[in-house]
Amino acid sequence: MKEKLIRCPICEAVNVDKGGEVKCRRCHEKIHSYKTVSYNRTVAFLITAMILYIPANVYPILITKQFGVVHKSTILGGIMHLWESGSYPVALIILFASVFVPILKFIFIIYLLISTKYNVKSSIIDKHKLFYITEVIGSWSMVDVFVVAILSVLIHFSAVQIIPGAGATAFALMVFFTMLSALSFDTRLIKK
Amino acid sequence: MTDSELDNFIICKKCHTLHRKIKLHKGTKALCKQCDSVIYRHHHNLIDNTLAISWVLLIALIIGFSFSIMSININGISQELNLPSLIIVIFNNEYYLVGIMLSFLIFIFPVTILLSLITLLTLMKLKKGKYLVKRLLILVAQIAPWSMLDIFFISLLVAMVKLFAFAQLELGVAFGAFVLIMTLDIFIFKRINFSDLWEEYNNIYKESR
Repeated sequence: MKEKLIRCPICEAVNVDKGGEVKCRRCHEKIHSYKTVSYNRTVAFLITAMILYIPANVYPILITKQFGVVHKSTILGGIMHLWESGSYPVALIILFASVFVPILKFIFIIYLLISTKYNVKSSIIDKHKLFYITEVIGSWSMVDVFVVAILSVLIHFSAVQIIPGAGATAFALMVFFTMLSALSFDTRLIKK
Repeated sequence: MTDSELDNFIICKKCHTLHRKIKLHKGTKALCKQCDSVIYRHHHNLIDNTLAISWVLLIALIIGFSFSIMSININGISQELNLPSLIIVIFNNEYYLVGIMLSFLIFIFPVTILLSLITLLTLMKLKKGKYLVKRLLILVAQIAPWSMLDIFFISLLVAMVKLFAFAQLELGVAFGAFVLIMTLDIFIFKRINFSDLWEEYNNIYKESR
């Protein structure tokens, strides 16, 4: 078989890769742009996400007002507080979802991007699997933002109040851009 | 290669290995030879089953979105959490970006996916509206990664654990609905591959092509 076959990410049909722009034969959607376009797009979204990762960790994600005393906590601070108070499983979930997942995604996408330009010795199947993992774990980072939102609704008394901090916005945007970065990556760029 | 020749192939979504399709026996599934993940299954009544589950999901979603998920009680003062209040409080705190993202991720996208599924499956059963079915199938595939109800459910559990320490929690009707939504959601999106639906689409609308 001489022709290279690719999978449509929308309808999962098998298509012949003619290079350049490809339209799916079954759903007629544009499934891939030109390789350089999607490469640059992935890089752009990735850099945006990495920049947003800094304010997401520096600014407080949660502001607690207790009898007039304001206490601000960042993501790492929240995890440390959870760990100290003894809820280890939850601390681990948050640590995984909001610290490890974004960093892992950055590393995975950077690795995939580098491996398209330079020869990296690893099997093509492993790279496809890596990309699949990157896509799947993407939404997990939103856990922290959702938790903050839920807490801010429930703890809304005159004496005690929880308000989302500026970090929440940065964090939500960071997740959004990492997901865009992964979605715009062209799987045809993956090669041996 | 012609379309019908290409239709005999399938590519694994995890490792992108090319496979030649074979006919499956009733109730069996085809695994990838590289990574052992399920590539496709034999479905007995794909459209009917999915349509029935989608309707249950819609009812559960309406319950989950309109009633109290949980309420908290501190010294006799109670506060209730439901989905509309969640979005309203975020907007009241002037976190517009987070508010917009939240309403899309846990409300608009899941509802759109579900309504599209119900519409397209009904149309497929009636064998009508070829173009609309195609657009809806594409729409569902495009926004499926952005629907985050499952993550929201995990967040609910995490928030519960955080609150257990200093308040009394009471679970509402909507929480039960969310448990049901999660189970059915996994059933629909993990079990049914979109390629199966597209094949069904090709079979149904073949005559009118």
